[in-house]
This record gives sequence, C-alpha cells and structure tokens, in this order.
Amino acid sequence: MPTVAAAQERHAVRPGFAYPKDREVKIVVFRPDVRVGTLTAGGLDEPNADWTATARTLIAAEIERAHGVQGATVSFVGEPEGEDGVRLAQYRALFGAVADAIMIHRLFVGNRLQSKKEGLDWTLGEGVSALADATGADYGLFLFTHDAYGSSGRKAAQIFGAMFGVAVIPGIHVGYAGLIDLKTGDVIWLNADPQMGGDVRTPEGAQKRVGQLLDGLPGRPVEAPATAKRN
Amino acid sequence: MLAVSSLLAGSMVPQSSAAPGQEASPPVTQAAYVPKDKDERGLWMMADEEERQLRTSNFVIRDPAINAYVRDVLCRTIGQAECAPIRLYVVRTPYFNATSAPNGMIQVWSGLFLRVRNEAQLAAVLAHEYVHYRDRHFLLLWRELRARAGSATFLSMFGLIGSLVAMGQLSTVFSFSRDQESAADSGAVYMLANAGYDTRESALVWGQIRDEADATAAARQAKSRKDKNGGIFATHPPTADRMTALFALSEKVKANGEPVNGVDRYHAMLATLWPSLIDDQIKLNDLGATEFLLASLAGGTWTADLLYARGETYRARGAAGDFEKAAGFYREAMAQAPANPEVRRGLGLSLLRLDSADEGREQLKEYLRLKPDAVDAPMIRMLAGG
Repeated sequence: MPTVAAAQERHAVRPGFAYPKDREVKIVVFRPDVRVGTLTAGGLDEPNADWTATARTLIAAEIERAHGVQGATVSFVGEPEGEDGVRLAQYRALFGAVADAIMIHRLFVGNRLQSKKEGLDWTLGEGVSALADATGADYGLFLFTHDAYGSSGRKAAQIFGAMFGVAVIPGIHVGYAGLIDLKTGDVIWLNADPQMGGDVRTPEGAQKRVGQLLDGLPGRPVEAPATAKRN
Repeated sequence: MLAVSSLLAGSMVPQSSAAPGQEASPPVTQAAYVPKDKDERGLWMMADEEERQLRTSNFVIRDPAINAYVRDVLCRTIGQAECAPIRLYVVRTPYFNATSAPNGMIQVWSGLFLRVRNEAQLAAVLAHEYVHYRDRHFLLLWRELRARAGSATFLSMFGLIGSLVAMGQLSTVFSFSRDQESAADSGAVYMLANAGYDTRESALVWGQIRDEADATAAARQAKSRKDKNGGIFATHPPTADRMTALFALSEKVKANGEPVNGVDRYHAMLATLWPSLIDDQIKLNDLGATEFLLASLAGGTWTADLLYARGETYRARGAAGDFEKAAGFYREAMAQAPANPEVRRGLGLSLLRLDSADEGREQLKEYLRLKPDAVDAPMIRMLAGG
C-alpha cells in the first residue's frame, strides 16, 4: 500500500504523448475561469470584482511570459460569437465534467478506480475538432482557479473555534488545468490541486500559482522536486 | 410561422396601444447604472459570469418573435427608458418561474407561458422581477445573510441553545426575503396600472397556480401542496397570502380607463411555441397538472392539437386504463385532423398495447405513409410489421 502522500497525484499525462517535432505547434488558452473573493465568518463565499480582475490579468500575463513550453506557441483566444460560442460553451462544460471525473477517479485518493489508476485515457470526442477549425490551433488549454481568502471575522472565528475544539476552515484555494488535443479531443494532461499556493492578487503570488497550475504540462522543463507542503 | 404570428400581432396593435397612462411611467433613475461598492461589484461580477454562460447556452430559446414580444411587454410595463439596460432571456425549463440578477439580467422560464393566461399576467411577473433589480434586493439580502450567518457561526459553537439561537438568526434572513417578495408584488401592481393593464390579473395568476397544485394532488391521490412553502425557512410568502394582498391592492390601484388583459395578443404571439412547451410539460409525468393546463388552454374548445396532447399525456403515464383513454383522445383528434401523422402514430402505439394490435399496425402504416421521412421510421416500420 502506498502512503497517502505518495498516492496523492497532482497531475497525469497521456502515456507516450509527445508534441509533433516537424513543426511548431499552436496551443490556445481559452478564457480562464477565475474567481477570487472572501470567505466570510458565516461561511459565505463572497465574490470580489477587483481581486478577480487583478488575478485574471496577472495570471494571463504570467502564462504568456513564462509558460515555458518548448516547441509551441501559447496564446489566448477571445470568446467566439454565435455558433462557435455555443460549441465552445458545450465543450467547456464537458471539459469541466471530465476534469471532475479525472480528479475523483484518477488523481485524488479516496475514490480512485482500479482501471483508471494508471495512464490517462479520457477524451472529449472528435467533435472538438470544430474548435481546432475555429481557432487554427492544435491544442487547447483550459484553466480554473477559485480562491476565497478568510475575512478578519473568519480568522476570529477560527481562533475562537480552536479554543472550543471546533475546526473552521480558513479559506478556499482550488485550481486545475487541462490540455486537450483539439484534433482528437483526447485529454493530454490534467493537473489539479485542492490546496494551491500563491496569492493570486499579487504578481509574485500569481507567478507561483501559474507555476503550480502548469506543473507537469508536456514541453515544460521539469521543476525541482516539489516540497511536501506547497503553501 | 413567424410571418403568421407577426401578422396577427400587427392586427392586435390598436387594442394594446390604446392602453392609457403609458406616459405616466415613473421617472428614470439611472440611464446606465454602474455598481458602486465592493459588495455590489462582486455580485455583479458573478451575475456577469452567469450571463456569459447563459448567452451561449442551449437552454435559451432564441426565437426572435417570442423574444421581441416578451421584451415588448416588459418595456410597455416598466417604461421604455427603464427597460433599456435589462437583458431578457427565455429559458427552456418547464416550470412556473422567472428570476432576476443584480446586473439586470432577467430570465423567464418557458413553463411560465403555459401557466400565465394573458399579457397582463405576464406583465405582472416581469414587473415583479424588475422591482427586485431596481431596488437592489439581492444586494440587501446578501448583506443580511452575511451578517446573520456570521453571528450564527459564533452562536452554533455554544451547543444546543446556541444552535437554536443561530437558527433564529438565520430564519430572519428568510423573513427579510419574504418581505422583499411582497414589495416586488406590490411594486408590480403600480406598474401594471400605469401601463393600462388590469391589476387584478396579478392576483389571478396565483389562483391558477394553486388550482394546478390541487390538480396535481388529485391525480396523485395526495394532499395538495399549495400551502406548502417551507414555513420560517421559506424565501417567498405563502401563495394564499400573496393572492389576498394582491387582490386587496388591485382594488385600490387601477388603470385609468378600461383596463386590458391582452389575452388575444398573448395567444396570437405564443401559439407557435405551445406545442413544444406542452411536449416538455408532458415529460414531467404530472398528469393532473398537464390536464389542468391543457383544459385552461382549450377554454372549452378542444382543438386537434390539444386532444393529441391529452392522448400523449395518458399514453406517457401508461397506468391501467390510460391507453384506452389515450386512444379515445387520438380518435377525437383524428376526426378533426385526419391528415395529422403524429395522431396516427399515437393511436397506433396505444392500440398495440390494447387488444387491437391489427388496427394499431394499420395506423402505424398510415403514419409512415403520411410522414415517410420520420426520424423514427425504422422503429415504427418494425412495430408495424414491415
């Protein structure tokens, strides 16, 4: 039996995957799903427009600056209109559902399926090629981050709760990212972490967060082994 | 189809544009409202994200004539300037509801169009949602919830007594919400009067919803849930209270001149939408409610389409005796519309389940003859015996 720490995996790559070497491939980043706010004393996840806008800008800039993927161009695409918009919305939703399944049944400890523990064989289906036609790209990158920083009232409740032996979770910091082959629909890589580090409201924090979000993305230089605690 | 409905709408215009008091709509507060503080901008951001998804959703009904009509009713009711910043979406969901978001997005569920019987009732619902937006109810409710939930967190640390007090704290949030609903109800009545609509329709719609709940219960041999709203944790007041309050207010607040309810225009504009709405309703497997709604649409005159829908309703449930009833309704529909293939299909499939399989197969063959390119042709051909 592996220990819990060893069994917990943050990312998985489709076995045997490599970018085509005969040309420079094009990766498009679809509008990241970013939400930043406050976790109030009462447990409400309160959205904050300024923090979200800041995080969105910082994360996008950091991805363009430091994606580090060898042999590929990485660029953001605007939201398409009309038919293409509806199609992207459907695949965005499908990717969300598939990513959830990968996190539950492949990555995170608890409900991993015997037949899914190795490899990565999920796909969104060949219909995705319509997105390749619309964007002219080979691969698509989806990103999701959600942060809620504990309010001062919540911090007080945390201290107060600790005195009575009541655990109050301090905040929410989840994120995941996935790379899709836009010709075949195959999920190439998925990376997820329910407790991400880096304060996305600051340039340094966003740099750390993007590093964690893109950790293990094919074509990126392998980082030094991560420390056990990633905060 | 579109040409027909806009032609009919055109012929109805004199009636509705005669609605008095249009110029008496309340003054414009903001041309383009921009959210001010941190709380409000956060809520707008979330609503904007939701709307971004909704814009590309397959659940949105994009039929231009329907959308133009609903928007026209909204603008006529709340005033042209007030309705300019509002975005209206008709969402395919077969229940009675409409929602508004802090950023001025209003969603109308498609099931509402089967349950609202005239333009004045539609106007009442739309105006109700507009008041929620105009008076920033969501923001105020959010602040109330945040304050109460915060103290409830502290209180719930103190065992049972603390938890009971905490529950009391939270229940005041729901009473706050119920007060907002009442405010939106009465705000809508004034707008109806200004636009020349019959204000009593705002109350009548609740009577219909309660009757529908009774019909559902009767068919299921259960107690009607018309007075169930969740007690102290209800977000909306009981429908009986809303109806009583609306009747009382509509006695005092009336349109200048002869009030209109716009029933003819409403029927003309939405007739093309009804078959798909009825289809969605039948799939809810709520025979009592479906029968109630079909009867209200028929108003004593059962057309072939409505008889067909009744047949489909009973065939879908398929309880003892339902196929006999279904076959009866299909036959009545067939008498009116012998060339309608769908009626033949329903009748044939019902007869296959009864002791008349031979006649059933004949009806299915007739279906295939009338509609050779039907999507289910291979399956029906098999059932019809080649």
